[in-house]
Amino acid sequence: MTAVEAGNDDIRRIEAEAVPTRFARGWHCLGLSEKFKDGKPHTVKAFGQKLVVFQSGDGKLNVLDAYCRHMGGDLSQGEIKGDEIACPFHDWRWGGDGRCKKIPYSRRVPLRARTASWVTMDQDGLLFVWNDPEGNPPPPEVTIPRMEGATRDDWTDWVWTETVVHTNCREVVDNVVDMAHFFYVHYSFPTYFKNIFEGHVATQIMKGTGRQDTRPPAKDGEPKLLGNDSVASYHGPSFMIDELTYHYDTMDINSVLINAHYPIDANSFVLHSGIIVQRTDTLPGPAADEMARKMSSFILKGFDQDVQIWKNKARIDNPLLCEEDGPVYQLRRWYEQFYVDVADVRPEMVERFEFELDTTRPVEAWKREVEENLARKAAELSASTGRPA
Amino acid sequence: MTIRPDDRLLDAPMQPLTCRRCGAGVQVRKASWHQTSVQWNADATGTCQERRTAGAGVFAGCAALRDSIVQAALDGEIAVPEES
Ligand code: FES
Ligand SMILES: [Fe+2]
Repeated sequence: MTAVEAGNDDIRRIEAEAVPTRFARGWHCLGLSEKFKDGKPHTVKAFGQKLVVFQSGDGKLNVLDAYCRHMGGDLSQGEIKGDEIACPFHDWRWGGDGRCKKIPYSRRVPLRARTASWVTMDQDGLLFVWNDPEGNPPPPEVTIPRMEGATRDDWTDWVWTETVVHTNCREVVDNVVDMAHFFYVHYSFPTYFKNIFEGHVATQIMKGTGRQDTRPPAKDGEPKLLGNDSVASYHGPSFMIDELTYHYDTMDINSVLINAHYPIDANSFVLHSGIIVQRTDTLPGPAADEMARKMSSFILKGFDQDVQIWKNKARIDNPLLCEEDGPVYQLRRWYEQFYVDVADVRPEMVERFEFELDTTRPVEAWKREVEENLARKAAELSASTGRPA
Repeated sequence: MTIRPDDRLLDAPMQPLTCRRCGAGVQVRKASWHQTSVQWNADATGTCQERRTAGAGVFAGCAALRDSIVQAALDGEIAVPEES
């Protein structure tokens, strides 16, 4: 602990433990799987290590520790030969299961010729790796749901971006609960906001309108933006699917946004954004592509705004919250489940918690109802006792 | 990382509440008329009728529980801080 004890003065101290040296258990997205299917091995720095990603002859994408167990050659500088990755140093051949299959100049592969491999999943055009410090395979119920639009012709292709951010990845996860920052950092105005944490899923539901003071009013003939509806869930520690609908006076635009990251090390991560947009009669082929590109650059602008904050801010384990803030502590309690052994996941980390802000009914209406309630009770009381209230 | 408590609960803790429909017992807190927090446990999620019959995907919440909370707040059983 590097926590600073509060003295007997009244100054609030920022406390922060050292960033965890362990990396979260869960599925992490490494980006568009297409990118890894060019016949070459790829270097990926993740989970504090160097990994090699390669497509074997059977079409499967594999992830291994990049360093060859023979003499430490970098497999990601090697060559794909059939179903194996060949080390550039002495040509040892490694299979996607982590086993050495062949040493061209030797008759026998030594025992123990096995290296670290990661379970992979190639789904909806994206490559996922399962990280587990305990080395267990992913349980069947812990998965990334399919995204229908990702493989359908009436949706656009992914518009995908990747950015390296130099801070610990807890900062990006915190955004799930940070209602106020949407207003101040992203200029949107939530009228309804809800967080739900349950099991390995953390959800943010938001209905909002754009802030009138930060965007030009729609010109005549242009569709007018009325508001947006968003249901965004982290499935595990790092992959968020956001089903986002924009409501215009003349149409709805359906889209799926991905906000995902994987840690490079304790102090940096790769931040991904992805988007697909549904094509409709009012938003046909090229118009949908254009919309996806526009939304992508809009999201990137949002990321930039976040990054500016993250670059300069302090890590803080004891944020001082007002009643209008979201459930930061409960989110972090949920997030902690990915940083402990499965056997140490406590009920409080996975039990359902809801936080809701609904401003659709004005406070005055609530108060009126309370008064009516009280008046009615008083009337009932006086009726039953025969005494005036 | 240590799990830290939410200091806001010191001033106004979560209060127990039973759903009038199914009897699920949860903990509730309102920071204002607009804001509601609900802490469930495994018993409650197992008891809640709407939760049990909900399909796949995110279960946004139980309408009966929501009504129970609204009623409890209107009846003064769940505290709602005065807004200035
Ligand atoms: S170091 Fe890889 S084959 Fe020798
Ligand atoms: Fe943000």
